[in-house]
Amino acid sequence: MSGTIQKYYTSYENKPCGTDCSHTDLPSPEAVKETSGFTRRSFLKTTGFSFAAFMTACSKTPVRKAIPFLIQPEEILPGKATWYASTSLACESGCAVHVKNRDGRPIKLEGNPDHPMTQGGLCTQCQASLIELYDSKRIFHPEVDGMKADWTTVDDHVIKKLRKVRDDGKSIVLLTGTVNSPSLEFTISKFKKKYKTVTHIQMDDYSYSAILDAHEQNYGKRILPKYRFDKADLVVSIDADFLGSWISPTQFTKDFRQNRNLDGKHISKLIQVESRMSITGAKADERIAKSPSEMIQFVVALDKAIRGKSVKDKQVNTIAQSLLHHKGKSLVVSGINNTDLQILINRINQHLGNVGRTLDIKKPSRQFAGSDTSINSLINELESGMVGALLISDTNPVYALPNGSRFAELMKKVKLTISFSDKRNETSDQCGIVAPTLHDMESWHDAELSTGLISMMQPVIHPFGDNRSLRKSLSTWMGNQQDERDLVRNYWKKVFKTRVKSGKTFARFWNELVHDGFARVSTATSNFSYKDVLVTVSKPSSKGMELVVFASSQMGTGKHAENPWLQELPDPITKLAWDNVASFSPETAESLGIKTGDVVVIQSGENSIEIPALLQPGQRKNTIAVAMGYGRKGTERFHEIGADWLEKVPTVPKGKTVGASVMPLITFDKNISFSGMHVTVKNTGKTWDLAFTQTFHSLENPKNTAPAIMPIRPFVQETTFDEYKKDPSAGSHHGHPVTTLWSDDHTYKGHHWGMALDLSACTGCSSCIIGCQVENNVPVVGKDEVFRKRDMAWLRLDRYYSGTGEDVDVSFQAMMCQHCDNAPCEPVCPVLATVHSSEGLNQQVYNRCIGTRFCANNCPYKVRRFNWFDYDRQDVMENMVLNPDVTVRSRGVMEKCSMCVQRIQEAKFEAKRQGVPLKDGDIKMACEQSCPADAIVFGDLNDPDSKISKLTNSERHYHILEELNVAPTVGYLTNVRNRDTSKEKGPHHG
Amino acid sequence: MEKGINKQFSYMMALVLIIGVVMSFRNSTFHIPGNQQDYEPIQPIEFSHQIHAGEMEINCQYCHFGAEDSRHAGIPPVSVCMNCHEFVNNTFNETRLADQEKRTPIPSKEIAKIYASLGRNMDGTKTGKTKSTEWVKVHNVPDFVYFSHKPHVNAGVDCAKCHGDVATMTRVKQVNDLSMGWCLDCHRQDHEPIQQAAGRTAQLQDCAACHY
Repeated sequence: MSGTIQKYYTSYENKPCGTDCSHTDLPSPEAVKETSGFTRRSFLKTTGFSFAAFMTACSKTPVRKAIPFLIQPEEILPGKATWYASTSLACESGCAVHVKNRDGRPIKLEGNPDHPMTQGGLCTQCQASLIELYDSKRIFHPEVDGMKADWTTVDDHVIKKLRKVRDDGKSIVLLTGTVNSPSLEFTISKFKKKYKTVTHIQMDDYSYSAILDAHEQNYGKRILPKYRFDKADLVVSIDADFLGSWISPTQFTKDFRQNRNLDGKHISKLIQVESRMSITGAKADERIAKSPSEMIQFVVALDKAIRGKSVKDKQVNTIAQSLLHHKGKSLVVSGINNTDLQILINRINQHLGNVGRTLDIKKPSRQFAGSDTSINSLINELESGMVGALLISDTNPVYALPNGSRFAELMKKVKLTISFSDKRNETSDQCGIVAPTLHDMESWHDAELSTGLISMMQPVIHPFGDNRSLRKSLSTWMGNQQDERDLVRNYWKKVFKTRVKSGKTFARFWNELVHDGFARVSTATSNFSYKDVLVTVSKPSSKGMELVVFASSQMGTGKHAENPWLQELPDPITKLAWDNVASFSPETAESLGIKTGDVVVIQSGENSIEIPALLQPGQRKNTIAVAMGYGRKGTERFHEIGADWLEKVPTVPKGKTVGASVMPLITFDKNISFSGMHVTVKNTGKTWDLAFTQTFHSLENPKNTAPAIMPIRPFVQETTFDEYKKDPSAGSHHGHPVTTLWSDDHTYKGHHWGMALDLSACTGCSSCIIGCQVENNVPVVGKDEVFRKRDMAWLRLDRYYSGTGEDVDVSFQAMMCQHCDNAPCEPVCPVLATVHSSEGLNQQVYNRCIGTRFCANNCPYKVRRFNWFDYDRQDVMENMVLNPDVTVRSRGVMEKCSMCVQRIQEAKFEAKRQGVPLKDGDIKMACEQSCPADAIVFGDLNDPDSKISKLTNSERHYHILEELNVAPTVGYLTNVRNRDTSKEKGPHHG
Repeated sequence: MEKGINKQFSYMMALVLIIGVVMSFRNSTFHIPGNQQDYEPIQPIEFSHQIHAGEMEINCQYCHFGAEDSRHAGIPPVSVCMNCHEFVNNTFNETRLADQEKRTPIPSKEIAKIYASLGRNMDGTKTGKTKSTEWVKVHNVPDFVYFSHKPHVNAGVDCAKCHGDVATMTRVKQVNDLSMGWCLDCHRQDHEPIQQAAGRTAQLQDCAACHY
């Protein structure tokens, strides 16, 4: 043991502070209240009576019925899963999925590994969107003026009105989210021809308009380029959270990971310039904290420096020099929605020769196409009263626009308003007619997410309600009666000859498209020439507080705010569930007298919002960051969620929403602006309970028991790439002398399952957590239970800060049962409910468990979860998403990661059926499958050729709390940052 | 007051115990709760395994075709019944009897039920109302036990080993108690053929082999 270990901390309040650190793992007084005096006598009495009641209830076992199919479909076998390729558009950028169907119900989404874009990765939102299929509060039938109606009435009414609007010469506006479906585009073009006055406007709830507009000015065509992070050796990102929420995070994570392979001679370098702490900033090799106004100056200076002009800023010069050094192999991206600024970014990339190399504009992305200019003209048109009909699909302008309430008022002026949303939202409430569309799992749809690549969506369940797609509704209003499938299929039949250049017949092309979930088609490529556009970016004022509004990786634009899984998923950085907060830099907050949990008022002009504050290490001073997507209508339903008991505190007060909407504070000049708004802050003096998940389950050594030789446990181990090249074991803390009392009697003759997690690859996206939750029937417990430190997640993602001020590093560490060979939980169980398997798994037997919780107490990793209640689902229909292969645990038993033993068993059964031995890679854990960063590897440690054995033998491999000699089979690989060692701030072991 | 309740409670407990003891003596088929050995429920159709599996020697997996590839062996859909019963409308005995008495056999009421479930009458007319038959499940394991037919069938375990000699049963009866000890009787065996088929006996005794 040598060297000093960096100090890691879990929140600003918990920062290393010498000897008198208060340890936050102790229950807070709010969380533990004295319960009423329940004496021993009354306890015994109650027990006795319950025993008597149990005895009298000893009647016959209930009769169970088994009802077979009348005529069984050929491909369906009760009890066996069928898989269908499809696409989920829940995250708007689109993820290719395989849908697991059991007995006619989709129960799990997994990434489609063959798809060229998402390559098997799956984001949190798409994965979690499955539960929305079983949401009984969806709209299941068309409505006219809030009353249930049938389609014939609606169709007659709409056709009549649309004709009248057309004949009056007023315009019909079709306001949609981005339309990248070729068949839907075709339907819309026909709709335009039929009702002559139609304008189609696209609007994204989080606008990327500036990038598209800048490309129109520079290249003559409004496109969103395809960024190739796999080809870029140096990435400079200015406020673009491309690993978390920007454009296509799953695809970008897969691509980014490819160029971070430590086996190679070099890895890419990421420089992140941002105000708040994003997960891209957490992954960054170099992070520069700047306020929005400083960022604009930074880009202006960078553009100058790249073009060889002298710039004062030394930092900009250094970055410009290394960018020039990586000509054609670098990439500069910016998430700031400002056209002038994006033109500068285009100029920088053009100057660096990146276009055509790390940035594809010939075959651009088609994921987003919304236009701020069109929305502006729509608002003007609405003001003038020229709009006769407004059809809104897949976007929520009343919520997402800065002046949403004004938009709602303008909508009242329109004679015919139709919403196509199947969920009640702020916009659908303003619409006269609701023509609900289908969930992704119920519909036929195609999406050209990237030019020339068609992703297919097919229904995997019969629609729950009387819903139909936008395509079907528009077609019906044109007198076309084709069914959902034919509308898509016949479009492809029509364009088959021109767009598909292969020897295949159409039937074969179609079947392969549906079977594989995607197909490549030919496109007309045009050449673009660059035209320099002179822009002068006005120097913004940097006085006062600046606001940054961002889409978080789990909540995004708030489209899925009714999703209980996503609400309970803690934010990767703040580790906060069930709320959004205003993040302040600790320095600024202290000067304003604000503490975490204080409710503040943020005011911009006439608009203000009330929101709790959080002290966020690493944030730029004088900036406030607030996540969008909260304060959504429909989240009032969570008042009821969670276990019912005497001291329950509802997740949201009655009639209130989860979090606060920050949308009134964004501004709309030329572009919708999400950052740089000048605001004032006032402390209200009120406080709000925030449910963090990292204030407990700490791995740190309690102060009173910490041995002098190991005051800080080295659970995060990291190094730099330079150090790693010199010594691959750099950063890892091996060689603790351990004396063992355990006899070596665990031999593991067959398999010995193990897992390795690469901290270098992990971005903290949290996809694994949702994957685990869906696979293993992990319940949602509600805010109050999370606040009481009783969250049920089997897999949690620990987040540690290191460093001070704005120069803060973030390390992520997925933590689940470590399946220790010398498991400390096992010997303390009085009933042998947790025992070791012959394959190295630490088994938890629910039916034996009597709930003493000794095991959880003795677990150094704090990964065991106790069922304090029967967590009934608030919505009974949601029970249909349960995995029938995993027991639903009842009250009073302990549970934890089972290493997806049902998947191990399933693979073994299948191998046995085929009469072949298990191969490495046959079994994939739920967390591993959806990981977009390929950070998790599971396999057999007894197989020397397996991937897991190679990783375990790697010099970067270490076990957390190895000094306790619990011999975990889950290991971690050190985090390697590509950073200049000479500038290293903290001392490192090496 | 306090004492009174305690007294009442003790009496009640004693009564419960006495009833329990008496029950176990009086009824030889008394089992502890959850044990359904000898369970032989009346089924909605008087289907005889003795005829089909016994006399006709139809392979178990002709009807229970899920056993090889699924967790559930499955109850056959009516379409499987109709493979034969499209042509066989009478019981075995009735056909033989009618042959002797040289008359047309009377169609079976029980077979009429499967026609009815498909919305058909045996004379060829249609009722149009389809309804699946609600069979009573005989063999049940608790929810916290994961039993799959797939590995057992592929390991060559004979169906009768667990289900008893179904080929002799007119109405199906649960022969074994399906308790964990009974499962382990096989899972503990070190000898052929189970050990060979499964590879390793140790795995078969892991808790997580069935409980997850």
